[in-house]
Amino acid sequence: MFSEEARKTAGQCRHYAMCKIDYLGTGLCSSGMENHYVSHFPQGRMDIYHALTRSQVPITQVLVEIADSCDLCGICDRQCHFVTGMRPLKVMKALKEHVREWQALGNQPLQVETDPGLEGLREVVGQKWATNDPAILVTYANDPFPLAEMRMPRYVALPGTREEVAALVRCAKALNLPYVVRGNGGSVFGFVFSDGLVMDMHRMKGIKIDAENWLALVEPGVTSFELQQEAVKHGLRANTAEPAATVCGNIVCTGLFSTWSNVYGVNADTFVDMEFVDSRGDFFRLNEPAAPNAFCFEHKLTPAPGICTLANVRLHPVTEDEEGLIVPFADFKEAADFARELGKRRIGLAVGVLGGHYLSTFMSPSADLADKVRSGLTEAFGMRYAVFIIGDRFARDAVMSIRETVIDEELFKMLMLGLPSLGDSEWLELVSDMDTDQPPYEILLRREMRPVLDAVLQPSPETASRAVDEDLRDFYIKLYSRPEMSEMVWLNMFRIISARMSRRKHMFAFLIYVPLDRVGIIEQICSELGRIADKHKIDNDFGFLTPLDLGKRGILEYDYYIDHQDPLEKEKISAALVEFEPYLDNLSATTKGVKWLKYIFSQGCARKEAFLYT
Amino acid sequence: MNPIHQQTFLITGASGFLGSHIALRLLAGGHRVFMLVRSGKKESAFSRVRRLLDWFGVREDQLSGLEVLTGDLEQQGLGLEGRDAQLLAGGVDEVIHCASDTSFSVRKRERVERTNVRGLEHLLDVVQKNPCRAFHLMSTAYVAGRRCGLCPEDFVQAEGFHNVYEETKFRAEQIAARRCAQAGIILFVHRPSIVYGDAVTGKSLNFKALYYPIRMLHFFQRLYTKDILENDGSRARVMNVHLDPDGILHLPLRIASSDSCGLNLIPVDHFIRAFMAIRQESPEGGVFHIVNPRSTTIRQLAEYTQRFFQLGGICITHPEEFEKHPRNALELLFEDHIRFYGPYMQDARTFEHSKTSAILASQNIICPDFSYEIFETCMSYALAVDWGRFLHREQGRS
Repeated sequence: MFSEEARKTAGQCRHYAMCKIDYLGTGLCSSGMENHYVSHFPQGRMDIYHALTRSQVPITQVLVEIADSCDLCGICDRQCHFVTGMRPLKVMKALKEHVREWQALGNQPLQVETDPGLEGLREVVGQKWATNDPAILVTYANDPFPLAEMRMPRYVALPGTREEVAALVRCAKALNLPYVVRGNGGSVFGFVFSDGLVMDMHRMKGIKIDAENWLALVEPGVTSFELQQEAVKHGLRANTAEPAATVCGNIVCTGLFSTWSNVYGVNADTFVDMEFVDSRGDFFRLNEPAAPNAFCFEHKLTPAPGICTLANVRLHPVTEDEEGLIVPFADFKEAADFARELGKRRIGLAVGVLGGHYLSTFMSPSADLADKVRSGLTEAFGMRYAVFIIGDRFARDAVMSIRETVIDEELFKMLMLGLPSLGDSEWLELVSDMDTDQPPYEILLRREMRPVLDAVLQPSPETASRAVDEDLRDFYIKLYSRPEMSEMVWLNMFRIISARMSRRKHMFAFLIYVPLDRVGIIEQICSELGRIADKHKIDNDFGFLTPLDLGKRGILEYDYYIDHQDPLEKEKISAALVEFEPYLDNLSATTKGVKWLKYIFSQGCARKEAFLYT
Repeated sequence: MNPIHQQTFLITGASGFLGSHIALRLLAGGHRVFMLVRSGKKESAFSRVRRLLDWFGVREDQLSGLEVLTGDLEQQGLGLEGRDAQLLAGGVDEVIHCASDTSFSVRKRERVERTNVRGLEHLLDVVQKNPCRAFHLMSTAYVAGRRCGLCPEDFVQAEGFHNVYEETKFRAEQIAARRCAQAGIILFVHRPSIVYGDAVTGKSLNFKALYYPIRMLHFFQRLYTKDILENDGSRARVMNVHLDPDGILHLPLRIASSDSCGLNLIPVDHFIRAFMAIRQESPEGGVFHIVNPRSTTIRQLAEYTQRFFQLGGICITHPEEFEKHPRNALELLFEDHIRFYGPYMQDARTFEHSKTSAILASQNIICPDFSYEIFETCMSYALAVDWGRFLHREQGRS
């Protein structure tokens, strides 16, 4: 018997691998850390349970061991709830119960036979780190991208060293086995699938800091979160991607970009050198004169230069007076122009234009509260857009000399810890009925108004935790008692709240390099992507816009939201694809400064100049 | 009513404060009423009207003349389709145009213009195709804009406006006058001042205008009382808010105003009586100021508020005196509101009303003074329905 509730939750796993990094200080799933395969982490168990409900995998001996190895510690519930609002513990319990009941009926688990191919792989990585067990394979066979079909690999292997990676390539070549590489075991955009071998780099987590050269030497299993943690220990910072995404994997794939790209750049700006294993199993470094030219850009889909086994990632200095600022705007053009102005004048480090949706979702510990807050911020406060800035005290002074109304760290903390009160409908009604020429935020966010806001919001960890299920409140109170959990600099460096964007549905993100000096083009792109989505009844919204290269260019994210388990939603996105793909292809080919990230895939080592100014 | 005298009316803004009261009065008089109502995101126009009628406590047998037309003034042809369009094509005797956006702010200009100007034009386009006998335009006494002194009970020349609402209402009057004259339709321009709830029952559908600043005070009263009684009162202390032993909450709030002027307030029941009398007694149409001969000063209003809500500390300060001291956060909040309502709170305008007064006198209709008793009645109702929130919740359930 399967639990319907558990089945539904299992099917909704976003595969963001947030259960594979200790981003809340809860510790990690012990079985996952011991066994490294995705299947042994909560994400994998969700997939296994979902596959069992669809009779896609048999109950094997390994599956029984996976179910048994979960000690129901509940870490996954807290981690997953923080970003997705889901409670996977019930799936972990349901999996154990199902296996136990199945065995109680006298059934015997399947012993999966080995084969010569597997033996070859095991000779390279050792007995434990290569498998053909369907219970493990199935956790590498799906992702939430709505147009991706399930694709079971024949083998999964977890190399532990660069030499093992090279040997696996040679072995696969000898076996005529296609292969793909997954940095952190996961895939979210339907790209990293193979009928042959999946290499999961989770065991290769070496990081060495070369402080004299401002570098981190990073192995392919290192996530953005882990690199940032290490950099911070040395008083430094890296430009990183989503926290659970691997650094090398991201560089090779799309190049790293974030709000920090305003000053740290993108793509080749992020690293000094990289080591690859080519398709013959040989090593090369990008800085070698004879190496393939990965710094160039071609306007087409191209294969990656190889498997990255080491990246020399640039690190950046940090000053003690850095703080976050949010400057509210009622109008997109004004916000985009302001962000560009900051880029042009070299004010601030991280800069980004955010919509009300992003801001409210990032800040809110629950989806329902995010909806209320979004309506409150955009409709009642009139704060439809915000320019987010991290800067030192000089940047702060400059920003405040340009704009009177600014949310600083103190006010942000007040808003974040008082968010459930901000979403209170009576207060929002009063604010939205304020009939003034200026948007109400201009008055409400003034420094003099803070005592009143403090009384209205009653900010505290206890207030913030009102937004979550009662049994999680103690945990959230402790969590929000930690200063960094409501501090803009930390949150933006470690990006632990960005995955909340997919809390309602899986996010299908359009990332497009754009000319920031021509905001009309950016508005037109948003408008057209919005029109296509609306036509097909797909939820959609502006994501963010970050200035690049002194405000000359920017990177725009526009998002579609899809329930990846709903076949109707799949049809919608298929129908929309016929419209948005040629639109963006044509725009990328004909408009200077516009490049759809689709063409950057696998060209993440390219110099930004090679695609931003061609 | 004798069926021979039964007439057909089209009312826009029929689910709003004034429109709904007029509709009910006409239905009670045995007339046929087409209520033009938008459908909501999750609710049909009919369902919205049904909730409204429940609120009024209307019996089914009073509704024989009612037709709900699902439409939208913002669309050409009022967005009418099928049977609704056919019904209107059959013609009406009088059109009562109550739909209005009462926002003042420039940032809402597009929305206000869409309703108050373009909406009227769409309506007049339809009327031109299906001419009616009379057109009633709900305007405002404040269409006189920045004019000082006596505002004539007639079409006026503009001398600038305090806000986008006044401006669009002025433009609407001009458009209606021109197009009704062209089409040979009798035009009534009704110019009420600030309308509040029913003076006898206190019932109201609208809790803005007069109610908004009082509601804001009530909100802060509860907030700080709770802070003092249930927490450590530190947030109240920061604002110099304290609770006196007799239960009066001291809210330090200065309001800049003078006693030489005040708010012109009329209750909705008076407005309806006046409207019906004007319609009946003035067959040639015209411009009518439906105003209170006596204004209410802000000081009076503050006294009523303090007495009813058990508040202290609110003091009316002469504007020059007010500027001498820095504003606290509550004052900043109120000042921003007052900046917009200032022209009405410190109104030096007076309104000629001889034409309307003569009609009202002939029917013994007198506008009541805004006494403490009326204030008490209205605020008691406002609290009972939680400033309309409870009302909407209850309506939502039914």
